[in-house]
Amino acid sequence: MKHLGKKLVACACALALTGSMAALAACGGNGENDEVRIGVLVSDVSGEEAVSFRNYYTQYIAEQYNVTFTYTEQLNDSASEIAAIEQFAGQNYDAIISLSANDRASQAEACEEAGMYYAIASGMDDTIYETYKNNEYFVGQIGPSMSTEYEAGLAMGEYYADKIEDSVAIYGAFIPNPMHVYRMAGLLTGLGATYGGATGEAIVGAIFADSGVTASKISLEGKTVSYLAGFGDSTMTEMGTIIATDPDALLSVGMATTFFSAMLNEAGIPYADIDSFTTSNAANMQSGTLEYLAGKYTSSIGPIFAAVYNAVQGNKIENADGSAISISQDYWVATSYEQFEVFQTSDSVTDPIYNKELLDTVIGEDVTYEAFEAFVTTDRTPQA
Amino acid sequence: MEEVLKSRSGDAVKKQKVKNIIIMLLPIAALVVLFAVYVAIILANDYNLAINLETIVNQAIVLVLVATGAIFIFTLGSFDISLGASTLFSATVGILVFNATGSLLLLFLTCIAVAVACSLLNSVLSSVFHLPMFVMTVAMLSVLTSIAGTIITTNSTSAGANPAISVSDSVLRDILGSVDTVWFKVLILALFAVVCIFVFNFTKVGRRQKFLGGNPVCAKMTGIPLSVYGIIAFVMAGIGVGLGAAVNVTYTMSVSTGTASDIGMSVFIAIVFGGMPISGGARSRIYAAIVGGFSYIILNNILNLLLSSVDGRYGYVQIISAVLFLAIVYVASINYRVKHLPR
Amino acid sequence: MDQVINTTARREEILKVRGMTKTFGPVVALNNVDLTLRKGDVLGLIGENGSGKSTITSIVAGMQKATKCDGMYYKGEEWKPSSMLDALDCCGKGRGGIGMVVQESGTIPGITVAENIFLGELGQFRLFQMKNGKSFGPVRRKKLFAAADEALKKAGIEHIPAKAPMAALDFQSRKLVEIAKVILKDPDVLIIDETSTALAQDGREILYKIINSFRGTDKAVIFISHDLDEIMDVCDTLTVLRDGNIIRTFERAEYDPDEIRKAMIGREMHGDYYRSDFEPACGEEVALKAEDVCLGESLKHVSLELHRGEILGIGGLAQCGMHELGKVLFGSLAPKSGRVTAGEDREVRSEAVAIKYGMGYVSKDRDVESLNLSASIKDNIAIAGMDKYAVKNFLILDSREKKYVDRQIDELSIKCSGRDQLVQQLSGGNKQKVVFGKWIGCGSEILILDCPTRGVDIGVKQAMYRLMTKLKGEGKAILLISEELPELMGMSDRILIMKDGEVKKQFMRSRELTDADVIGYMI
Repeated sequence: MKHLGKKLVACACALALTGSMAALAACGGNGENDEVRIGVLVSDVSGEEAVSFRNYYTQYIAEQYNVTFTYTEQLNDSASEIAAIEQFAGQNYDAIISLSANDRASQAEACEEAGMYYAIASGMDDTIYETYKNNEYFVGQIGPSMSTEYEAGLAMGEYYADKIEDSVAIYGAFIPNPMHVYRMAGLLTGLGATYGGATGEAIVGAIFADSGVTASKISLEGKTVSYLAGFGDSTMTEMGTIIATDPDALLSVGMATTFFSAMLNEAGIPYADIDSFTTSNAANMQSGTLEYLAGKYTSSIGPIFAAVYNAVQGNKIENADGSAISISQDYWVATSYEQFEVFQTSDSVTDPIYNKELLDTVIGEDVTYEAFEAFVTTDRTPQA
Repeated sequence: MEEVLKSRSGDAVKKQKVKNIIIMLLPIAALVVLFAVYVAIILANDYNLAINLETIVNQAIVLVLVATGAIFIFTLGSFDISLGASTLFSATVGILVFNATGSLLLLFLTCIAVAVACSLLNSVLSSVFHLPMFVMTVAMLSVLTSIAGTIITTNSTSAGANPAISVSDSVLRDILGSVDTVWFKVLILALFAVVCIFVFNFTKVGRRQKFLGGNPVCAKMTGIPLSVYGIIAFVMAGIGVGLGAAVNVTYTMSVSTGTASDIGMSVFIAIVFGGMPISGGARSRIYAAIVGGFSYIILNNILNLLLSSVDGRYGYVQIISAVLFLAIVYVASINYRVKHLPR
Repeated sequence: MDQVINTTARREEILKVRGMTKTFGPVVALNNVDLTLRKGDVLGLIGENGSGKSTITSIVAGMQKATKCDGMYYKGEEWKPSSMLDALDCCGKGRGGIGMVVQESGTIPGITVAENIFLGELGQFRLFQMKNGKSFGPVRRKKLFAAADEALKKAGIEHIPAKAPMAALDFQSRKLVEIAKVILKDPDVLIIDETSTALAQDGREILYKIINSFRGTDKAVIFISHDLDEIMDVCDTLTVLRDGNIIRTFERAEYDPDEIRKAMIGREMHGDYYRSDFEPACGEEVALKAEDVCLGESLKHVSLELHRGEILGIGGLAQCGMHELGKVLFGSLAPKSGRVTAGEDREVRSEAVAIKYGMGYVSKDRDVESLNLSASIKDNIAIAGMDKYAVKNFLILDSREKKYVDRQIDELSIKCSGRDQLVQQLSGGNKQKVVFGKWIGCGSEILILDCPTRGVDIGVKQAMYRLMTKLKGEGKAILLISEELPELMGMSDRILIMKDGEVKKQFMRSRELTDADVIGYMI
């Protein structure tokens, strides 16, 4: 009898769950009629940059416009990206903004099949753009282009070219990820180093050909170069070994602030990275040894929202030949805490650079491609 | 008094039979209920039913294919933690072959061959070294993940955080797209399920597998060695993994280091949802994989729909799934314990 | 159905149960039963499998709760143990409780003998003992082993080292450890449930010594056994249960085997118990042969021949090597040297090969080695005989399988609700019939039977003996390994007595053969 009771309790729980599902289903709805529903694909759900992007959309934009953003869980592969898109499609979502880049071709095709607008919010991909630019549901891409990535690396290399006296450590992040390859090519060029060639183009080609960077092929006259990339079980140990050689600086094309800040701050090794203007990076710059940061800012994903919102309202912005938009955004660079602080206060979730007032200038029926391009490319870097 | 007892005993037997039938039908009833709830939610919200049903098939198919083959391993009371890694590895080799040849047939054959080879390696090595098969699969998980990871990283075409190999040629994408249909997937599953059900229920091999799972010591003493039937079980599982990998490639047209990463655990949960005893043995059923796989996916979708406006809903979905999983195992174990009470 | 068991009226009551009923769903396991146990008594409980013996004692010992009970009193106080440990602990009093040695194995194989004995009480051996009675830190192994050795010694068990891993012990030794574990707690009532059947003569002697130490004192024993001779010998009073009811209580002066059997099975038993002939007889053809087989200390240069139509008995003490011999002959254990051949020089290297050559093996450890408890009767019987009914030697058709299984159920009169009933729900005797059905159904010509009547009531025992006689008549070769001398002498054409891994003596079947003739070669 006791067991029967327990069984009944277990079954009751299951029934209660089912019942509540039905009840919720009855209460559920498809949202208000005019509400725009946008699904956001993300492969990072916990990073500071990802969280600030999310807060900008869900806490600022959603308050200002009649729009709902639904974020996915952490998408680790193409299958989960497509599954998420199909789920959004099944719930009659209007558009997808992608911050996940496992397989953008499949994302674009899944959106096309489902009849949902699709936009890429970061990490521009020229191959994808060329393939799908004439697709009626492809809104386009806004973010740092590959040449912007190269320029970001170049600026960092030039900044440190004279500062490196004896040795430099370089972190290649997830090379051969193209974004990191271009940054690395820029960085090596800026430092005056060679890698299978001396020009940016030659270096990019050499890195792709090697499917990575071979440390021994980096040549920087009169200086020692240590190199590390990727992240695995032994990465922290390897970085520890590099730090023990006391390099003049560690220059990273990404992720160093996430992985190695504590080690570098403690060892007193100056470092530079391309990341974003987060609270932890502010601390690293204020009391640690982070001295150079190129980064995205919270509301940098504002313009792509405007483009998607326009498309859903029937005002898809296209360039002169009828193709989707593809506009590059620059990074902001801080080399001091004061500068960093200005960036932070100038662009926050509650008071973003791309606020409603500014976004409204490019939302509407009569917005042209040229106006929109100018809007995105205008330098809005805050000044102290 | 004896007559009373006999009549009571007769009633007990009848009740036991009814109870057994109910227990057998419960997972199917649960699937029907879940499906009804799912459809009700879709219709109540004016969502697109066709797209949602297609989504269910797309999400469930790889899981169900892998789980169907894996039933043979679970029947033995064993567990293969490398199912996801094996799916990843076969899909990786499969997509490379497909990119090189453009042949769908070769994609499927390669995936199956690679998965079966991995399975054979698992079972043969465990037999040679006299290690529990589960232990071998733990080692295989690391080996396959590493090899696949290396291949993917060095051949990556992805701009994302995870390296990935994609089918980028539009002609090849069209070829894959031509079989990325619900009907093709259902056909593959149906064929494989029929083969598995036949082997499992109508051949000596299947019967011996079930017996072995119930009591390996007794099975050995009945001339059924675990080493031989373990190999057969892993080969069947390998075929399921291979088919799952190939279908995954036709669906996603890419393979990344994260591909199928959670499939091992999902398979385990799915077959429990389908009414399969976690200890394997005589009560193992092939349909548990199919029923459980679809139930699990539908449940997840229902929860996602209901919690779509809730922050952190994926965590809640996982928690609710886990609670249901425990409830099912608990109810099943109570049933098991009742039968063990002494007289 | 109220029937008070009056044991010896002279002594004070130690345990009293009134109106106890236990049901499992609609099945009535105990029907309003009364029981009184007096100090100094050794009370025997006897009955067929499923009669309720284990149920009543398991409730008294705290293993489970009664569905209804008008009262349960221990030493005059209400008795409500929450668990077996609580009962042993006398509901918190520490000592003088009720301890039970269960029918099935109650030890854990992955740890040492000492850890088994002090399971749940290892705190007393931890390095740091606090004033509040709690303890922490590592277990002091030396102290633990010394205490366990002392506990074993107290129970009269000297040959089992406390350091030994449990898994390394044989069935008998594991049982003896359980006994020591209970005795350590100084129970005032000791319940021994079907334990002696797991013990050979030497193990039984230890058990009898313990029982005798309770007799006539302020303590008492409840002894459950299927062995009528043994229970009559050991117990002062004998209570017969059938279908959850107490049928009759016999005082020692009233002991009459036929009357007791009649009370147990509810009818007269007809015909002979063992074989009625006393002439050794067998065919010429050698069915199974062992040549100079060695296996460590267990078997030393053992050779034997088993002929068609012969029942060859193997006897000895539990550790004499006879059980290992059975496994070596069946290909389950590989001998270090020597060879086993079946029929015309076909070497038996594994169980699969043995089965291929027409051999079957009934293990002493029935529930582990001979049956798949969680499977149905059908699955258990059919598994060995698929070659017989499979179409084209691979396709299994339900109709053919059912026919095959039903034939065995009918021929062996297996009491069950149907072929799909789970084996775990059957009584010991019917379980054993399923094992026989498994091997007879597939046409085994050579049967190795290791303690085939262990834990089986006398009704089924008689059926088993008749079956063995019938099989012998059909020309099957039977190797009967048994720890019960009457069984060996009653059934075998030849008996080989083993000691320390060697065959010490061969006896031919004879009306004149007595226990005394044989025992000397065993010890």
